[in-house]
Amino acid sequence: MFDLIIAGGTVVDGTGAKGFIGDVAVKDGRIAAVGERLDGDARRTIDATGRVVAPGFIDPHTHFDVQLLWDGAARPALAHGITAVVPGNCSLSLAPLRAKDRRALVGMFQQIEEMPPEAFSEAFEWTWEDFAGYREAIEPGLSINVAPLVGHSVIRLWVMGEAANQRAATPDEVAAMQDLLRQSLDAGAVGLSTSFVDVDENGRPVPSRFADFSELDALSAVLGEQRRMLQIVPEFYATDITIARVDQLAELSLKHGIPTTFSPLFDNRLAPENVSRVLTRVEEQFARGAQVWPQMQTRPIDISFSLLRPSLFFARFPRWVRVLRLPLPERIAALKNAEIADKMIEDAGPDGGMAAFGELVVRAGEAPEHLVGRTLAEIAAERGQSPARALIDVSLEHGLDVAFVAASRGHDDTSRIGPMLASPFVHIGASDGGAHLASFATYGDTGYLFSEFVRGSGALSLEQAVRKITSDTARIWGLKGRGELKPGFAADVVVFDPDTIARGEERPEFDMPGDGMRYVRDSSGVETVVVNGEVAWEGGRYTDAKSGVICPLN
Amino acid sequence: MNARLIGASIKRMTLARQRRFVTPHPDETLEALAARALPDAPLADAVDQIRAWNLHIFAMRKPRGLMLGSDVVFVEPPLT
Repeated sequence: MFDLIIAGGTVVDGTGAKGFIGDVAVKDGRIAAVGERLDGDARRTIDATGRVVAPGFIDPHTHFDVQLLWDGAARPALAHGITAVVPGNCSLSLAPLRAKDRRALVGMFQQIEEMPPEAFSEAFEWTWEDFAGYREAIEPGLSINVAPLVGHSVIRLWVMGEAANQRAATPDEVAAMQDLLRQSLDAGAVGLSTSFVDVDENGRPVPSRFADFSELDALSAVLGEQRRMLQIVPEFYATDITIARVDQLAELSLKHGIPTTFSPLFDNRLAPENVSRVLTRVEEQFARGAQVWPQMQTRPIDISFSLLRPSLFFARFPRWVRVLRLPLPERIAALKNAEIADKMIEDAGPDGGMAAFGELVVRAGEAPEHLVGRTLAEIAAERGQSPARALIDVSLEHGLDVAFVAASRGHDDTSRIGPMLASPFVHIGASDGGAHLASFATYGDTGYLFSEFVRGSGALSLEQAVRKITSDTARIWGLKGRGELKPGFAADVVVFDPDTIARGEERPEFDMPGDGMRYVRDSSGVETVVVNGEVAWEGGRYTDAKSGVICPLN
Repeated sequence: MNARLIGASIKRMTLARQRRFVTPHPDETLEALAARALPDAPLADAVDQIRAWNLHIFAMRKPRGLMLGSDVVFVEPPLT
């Protein structure tokens, strides 16, 4: 007897093969059979008539490291059909980490991923230092599968202490890092992440950026022992540098026999040749036998912010960041201080912030009705002010609680994105799930893939889209026995309505530790999500299933 | 890999030519890197050129000009 049969749906098995009407049977957490009409009884049958039955989706770029300590479903990722996530990207992971270095790591998460310090202090006890300990801390509560990366910056912190973001490592220190990485891989890490762009809360480059290439080469040699992944964040704002990073990754991939990936890769009118040039180089490197996978998001990034909280939107303007980090009374006083405000406006550019802020749109919410939907350039012109001055004054007039949207950062023309996503050299990812909590929702990229690029433009077939976010991802990352509906594979399954699957509207949710706010998107069209054979989400509700695991690797 | 011109080495493997770069040696100064990368140019000119070709380090970064071991340092202007 099977544990579960999902019957009568269109089975899209993750390989790219054409879907067919059939059944999927599950037993002992694994796919037991797939066919047009399966014989045999089951403890439970789900009628999937008119629905698609597909492997669970895999999100390869997230920052759920801390959320998994109190929310094993990585909500709302699971509700969008995601059954496996990769945290630990961008050189940051919660292990290995000595107790004395926790403050430094929290500062980096706060600066780079916009995660509040309360998330690291109010919802769990730090019970671990090494990677095996972190695994033990999260695994019992998992409803979703996890393939965690280990961060280069924390490895440097462990070995070098305060010198981690001051200098190159000695040969002995590099050897110690190799040992630590090897221990982490043995404890289940899927690979190593590093960053070439990020800074800490003091504006200083993160530790991984102080590593010379020989250090990264030495760590990649350890990855090569187990064929594990190297993930990097390149200087994505500059095509020539990104191509240089592709070449470096290719060298490491060929030398050590490892897969590599970089994220993000954006398409934007400011650099319209960026993606084509980078992909051409990626294709050349694949032809040599290297594995260098560029990750592209499906969606543009629409950043919401107010002067109530700092935002990555102001990353180019350190003076603004410093002021917006002040406690609220001091912040308001600083913004009212003519000398300080004048310097902030000066920093916004010689055009008074027209280029930087003019296209910002006032978001519905606490703002007065007459401002909602208007650009800051329009409001500034009406007031006879510069946009930077208007941004400060309008905010002050309403207790700083006026939200603005900076639309279409990252990708800015959806019509160009579909063919890029369809490229066999593009890895769909870079969602940043679990990060940038108060700037934008990092959930629903998979629903957006189907609504915009399968039902909408038709740039991808249903089968192509499913393959891109299931078996392709599992193969690239070496996730053992996942990503396909195939007997013996893990029973990670999503049942969805192909006519309605989409992401919901962005909305604030107050469910973070310390009553913190984050933006989320609900799913639509996703009806049932099965993780290792257990129904983890159905009918719009999470179940009590705790069937997630640390993903076994090839 | 630190000390060699990655773009040049790849050219021998029939990849399309890309902009050449080096990565800094540990504790290497700008002057030392410029002398290494552009040995035929007068040092002052070499330093000026390295600065001009690498605004991501010498203009955009704070603190400005802090060279890191992981940096890509271009040793020629953009190809297009």
